[in-house]
Amino acid sequence: MNPIIRVEHLRKVYRVGKEKVVALNDVSLSILPGEVCCIVGASGSGKSTLLNQLAGLEKPTRGRVLIGRHEISAMTENELAAFRQAHLGFIFQSYNLLPNLTAAENVALPLMFKGVPRKQRQKMAVEQLKLMGLAKRAGHKPTEMSGGQQQRVGIARAFVTRPKVIFADEPTGNLDTKTTRQVLRSMLEMAKEHGITFVMVTHEKDLAGIADRVITIQDGNVLSDVVVGDAEKAANRAALFDSLEEQSPAEPVAAVPAGAEPEGTAANKTEKKRGV
Amino acid sequence: MKISDLLKLSTDNLRRRKGRTLLTLIGVVIGTCLIVVMISLGIAIGKQNEEMLRSYGDLTKIQIYNYSYGGTTENSPPKLDDAMLETLKAIPHVIAATPQYRPQNLGGQIYAGKNDRYQAYMDVMGMDPASLQAMGVTMLSGQYLTGEEVLGKNKIPVIVGENYAYSFEDTRKSYNSGKRYVYQGMVDAQGNPVPPFVDINKDKLTLRMSNYDETNPKTREYELVVMGVMKSDYNVGYYTDSGIVMSIANVKKLEEAYQKLTGSKNNGGGVIISGSGGVMREQDNGYQEVYLKVDDVDNVADVENAVKDLGYTEIGSMTQVREQLQAEVRKQQMTLGGLAAVSLLVAALNIANTMTMAIYERTKEIGVMKVLGCPLGKIRGMFLVESGAIGFIGGIVGVVISYIVSFVLNNLQTIIAFLGIQQNMDSMNNMGGMVDPMMATSQSSIIPPWLVLLAIAFATLVGLLSGVVPANRAVKISALEAIRHE
Repeated sequence: MNPIIRVEHLRKVYRVGKEKVVALNDVSLSILPGEVCCIVGASGSGKSTLLNQLAGLEKPTRGRVLIGRHEISAMTENELAAFRQAHLGFIFQSYNLLPNLTAAENVALPLMFKGVPRKQRQKMAVEQLKLMGLAKRAGHKPTEMSGGQQQRVGIARAFVTRPKVIFADEPTGNLDTKTTRQVLRSMLEMAKEHGITFVMVTHEKDLAGIADRVITIQDGNVLSDVVVGDAEKAANRAALFDSLEEQSPAEPVAAVPAGAEPEGTAANKTEKKRGV
Repeated sequence: MKISDLLKLSTDNLRRRKGRTLLTLIGVVIGTCLIVVMISLGIAIGKQNEEMLRSYGDLTKIQIYNYSYGGTTENSPPKLDDAMLETLKAIPHVIAATPQYRPQNLGGQIYAGKNDRYQAYMDVMGMDPASLQAMGVTMLSGQYLTGEEVLGKNKIPVIVGENYAYSFEDTRKSYNSGKRYVYQGMVDAQGNPVPPFVDINKDKLTLRMSNYDETNPKTREYELVVMGVMKSDYNVGYYTDSGIVMSIANVKKLEEAYQKLTGSKNNGGGVIISGSGGVMREQDNGYQEVYLKVDDVDNVADVENAVKDLGYTEIGSMTQVREQLQAEVRKQQMTLGGLAAVSLLVAALNIANTMTMAIYERTKEIGVMKVLGCPLGKIRGMFLVESGAIGFIGGIVGVVISYIVSFVLNNLQTIIAFLGIQQNMDSMNNMGGMVDPMMATSQSSIIPPWLVLLAIAFATLVGLLSGVVPANRAVKISALEAIRHE
C-alpha cells in the first residue's frame, strides 16, 4: 500500500534572536492510509513542530512533506487553504471554537468554507453532534459547555467534512482522565468507521498505545517508528476503555446525556487551569 | 464560501461589539453630515450668487457711463453722441448699441379714459429700435418698434411693458380711499384679480405737456400709439415690465417741444436747466449711458478694451463682477469643504483603528478559520465588508441627519418664531406681513440628489479604504501563531 503521508529528510530550524534552535533535525517517515498514528515525545522533542509541518502550517527549512501526491511543503498560502478545506481536519488542544457561534454553527464552519448551503450544512452539523452525543447542545455557545463537551464539538467539526487526514495536537491535554478516555475512544471509532487517517500528537505514552503506529520523537529525530501488533493494541484499548463500558454499557460515548455530565464541568475546569 | 455567509459573518461581528460599532458609526455620521451640510451651504451660496448675478442683468451687456459732473476737461471722455454710437457699433463682436435715453428736462402726464379720468406720470425712454431684439426684449403681443412707422401728425408709436397699465391711477378717487391705485397681483374680496383701469391695447393714450403758467397756460398734446407689449423680464431691464419705450428721435422731438413750451432752451452746448429743476448739466456731453450687446461672453473683455481705447473709463459689465464673485464663492466653498474633509479623515482613522482593534481581538479566530481552510480572500473580504458597512450605514444616517440640519437652517426664522420668542415675533409682525422675496426664495442649505448619492458612496469608500490595511494585516497573520494567541 502506498503511504498517504510521506516525510523526506525534514529539517526545521528556528531562529531565536541570534541563536539557532534545531527543532527537527532529519526526519523521514511514512503513514499509511486509514492508520491511526500517534507521535509521542517529551516536551521540546519537536513533536508539535512535526505535526505543524505535516499539516502545512509552517514551511520546513529543508526536506518535503507529501500528502497523497501533493507536496504541501511547496504550496502557497492560498493553495494550502484550499487543500486543507478539501482534505484535512484539525483538532486542537484548546478546542479553538469560535465563541460567538453555537456548537452547530462551529461544526458547520468548515462546510461553510466549502460552500455548502446553510440549511444543508446545519443539518449535517447537528447530525455529527448527535453522533458525538451532543444533540441537545447544538444550540449552545461554547462558554455554556464543559471542556469535554467543547472538545467533542471540536472533534465533530474535524469529522463533519469526512477529510482524508485529521491532525490532532494533544486533543486530550486539557481534559481529565475519564473524559480523555471518552474523547479518545470516539475519535478512534469515527476514524476507523470512515477510514480516515488520524495523526495525533501526545506526550502520554499509555494513550499512544491504542494507535496502529507509534512514532517516538527525541531531540528532533525519530527515535522509533513502531507498528503495534493487533493483540497488543486490543489489550491497550481494553485497558483504557473497559472502565467506560462498566458505567454505560451501550454506546458509551454517544449515550452520555449532555446534562448528566457533572464530572466534566467541575473536574475539567481545574484540569484546564493546570493545562493552560 | 458564499457571499451571503460572508455578509452574515461580518454583520454578526459588528453586532457582537455594539458599543464600539456604534462609536465608530457616530464618527462616520458626523463626518458625512458635516460634508453634506458644508457642501449644501456652498451650493446655496453659489446659487444665491447666480441669482444675484442674473438679477443684475445680461452677462453679454456692457454699460458705458458718461456722467461729466465736474465739467469737461482735456482728459474727459469724448462726447457720446449718435456719431460715437456708430463707432461703437463698428467694434468687432458688438451686435447692438443703444442709449437708454431718459431726458431730464422733459415733463408731462399721460391720460386715458373718459374725460382723462386715468392718469400716469410720463416716464418715457428712448432706445434705438434696431437694438431692441438684441437687447433681449421679447414681445408679448404686437410688434417691435421699427422707427419708420407712419402714423400721422402728433402720433407717436410706442411699446410698453407688460404691466405698464398698472401705472395709471384713478383721479376721481381720493388718495385715502384705497381705490385710487391698482397694483399688480391685487385681488378683490372674492379673491379675483383686479384688472388695471386702462386696457393698454384698446384705450387711447394721450400725452399732454403743460407750461405750468397760470396766467398764460399752454399745452401740447400727442397721441401715443401702442405698437406692442413687451414681456416682463427684469434681466433685460425694468422697462420691459412697467416702462414705455419709443425711438430716440421721438424722445428728442418731445424734448424739443417741451423746451419750446416751457421756454427752457438748449442753446447748443450751453447751460441746460431741466424743467423739474433736478439735474444741472454744464455742458452737453451726449448720452449718459449707452448699452452694448456683445455676441459672446468670451468676447466681452475684448470689447471692453476697445471701448477703453476710445477714451471711456467708466465701463460696467457683469463679467468683472461675475469673476470676482465666483472667485469669492469658490474660496468660501473650499473652506467649507476643507473643514468637512478633515472631519471625515478623522472618521476614517477611527474606522481603521476600530478594525485594527478587531483584528487583535479576533486573531485567534482568524487563525482557526485559516486552519479550517477559509480562503484568504474571504478573510480579507470579511474585514472589508465590516469596515465598508460601517461607512455605508454611517453615510446613510449622516445624510438623513443632514436633511434635518438643512431643514432647520432653511427654516430658522420660522422655527424661532414658532418657539415663541416674543422679541422675534414682534419684529416679524412689524414687517406687516410683507415678505421679502429674497428671504423667501433663497435657501441657506441645498441638498441635491447627487450630493446624497455622492456622500453615501464617499462614506462607503472611506470605510472600505480604511479597512484595507487592517484586512491585509489579518490575511498576513500566521495561522500557527494565531491559534496560539490568547
